[in-house]
Amino acid sequence: MLASIRPDSINFALLVHVLGAMVMVGALATAVAAALVGWRDETGALSRLSYKTLLYAALPGYIVMRVGAQWVYAKEHLDDLPDDPAWVVIGFITSDLGGLLLLIALILGGIGLRRTRSGGGQGLLKASSVIATLLVAVYIVAVWAMGAKPT
Amino acid sequence: MDFYDWVLAFHLLAAFSIAAALVLYSVLVVAGRRMATLEQTRLLFRVAPVGGPLVGIGMGLTLLLGIVLAIDADAFQLWDPWVIAAIVLWALFAEVGRRTGAYYTETQKLAESGEAGVEPEVLARLRAPTGARLHYANVAVFLLLVLDMIFKPGA
Repeated sequence: MLASIRPDSINFALLVHVLGAMVMVGALATAVAAALVGWRDETGALSRLSYKTLLYAALPGYIVMRVGAQWVYAKEHLDDLPDDPAWVVIGFITSDLGGLLLLIALILGGIGLRRTRSGGGQGLLKASSVIATLLVAVYIVAVWAMGAKPT
Repeated sequence: MDFYDWVLAFHLLAAFSIAAALVLYSVLVVAGRRMATLEQTRLLFRVAPVGGPLVGIGMGLTLLLGIVLAIDADAFQLWDPWVIAAIVLWALFAEVGRRTGAYYTETQKLAESGEAGVEPEVLARLRAPTGARLHYANVAVFLLLVLDMIFKPGA
């Protein structure tokens, strides 16, 4: 019922948050798909595509999603509550932990991408895509929590 | 958590499934325009099937669960303007998506046909604005749907 009683003033902040999250989750899913399909591809083309999707789509999506989340949090005056509701706690944990994991995936993948020029780096690119797979699972839980709003 | 909350959560997850497919197709459309050989395009087409179930299941569930939500909620009805707009946009999204899919499926079949001399035609189809325009039109319709869901005009 929250959607039906949500004040209009929050809508734009929510739009920013949702669009950022959609781009981020979509980019993570794309990166995982490219990495899995190209797991045994010796040219490494799909591993590179996977990494570039993380860098150029998932990271900007994450930033927009996180800024939007904080904006909604302030607009809804959730910071006035004595304790954060469970769904907000889940949101903060998944987004902040997810941000850290995304950063690690980007660093590992970046080093791996550099090493591919000298014939190596595939292991690091694969490690990066394994983290992206974990992130997809983390954000499925986050999306569920944002919709169901468990208390 | 009541019935409405659970249905809303899965409605939202279904919408994210469609969004994931659209991002995947966007990456493939952009990457496809930069392909230089038939071999590269075949590799790219191996990723595309992942989008099918994401968009198919997502579309089915968003519509079904959206209708359930409209019936279950006291605050809005199936005949509210924003709900009708959402159903119209959903149908438009399906039609534009069907046309986009047909264009790229034909290109994929050509790439995988094994016929001699198809490379220039496959690369030309990937670089032509037709497929990309259809895809971006589909993304635009999806954005309108998201706007409609969040702002609920007329509610």
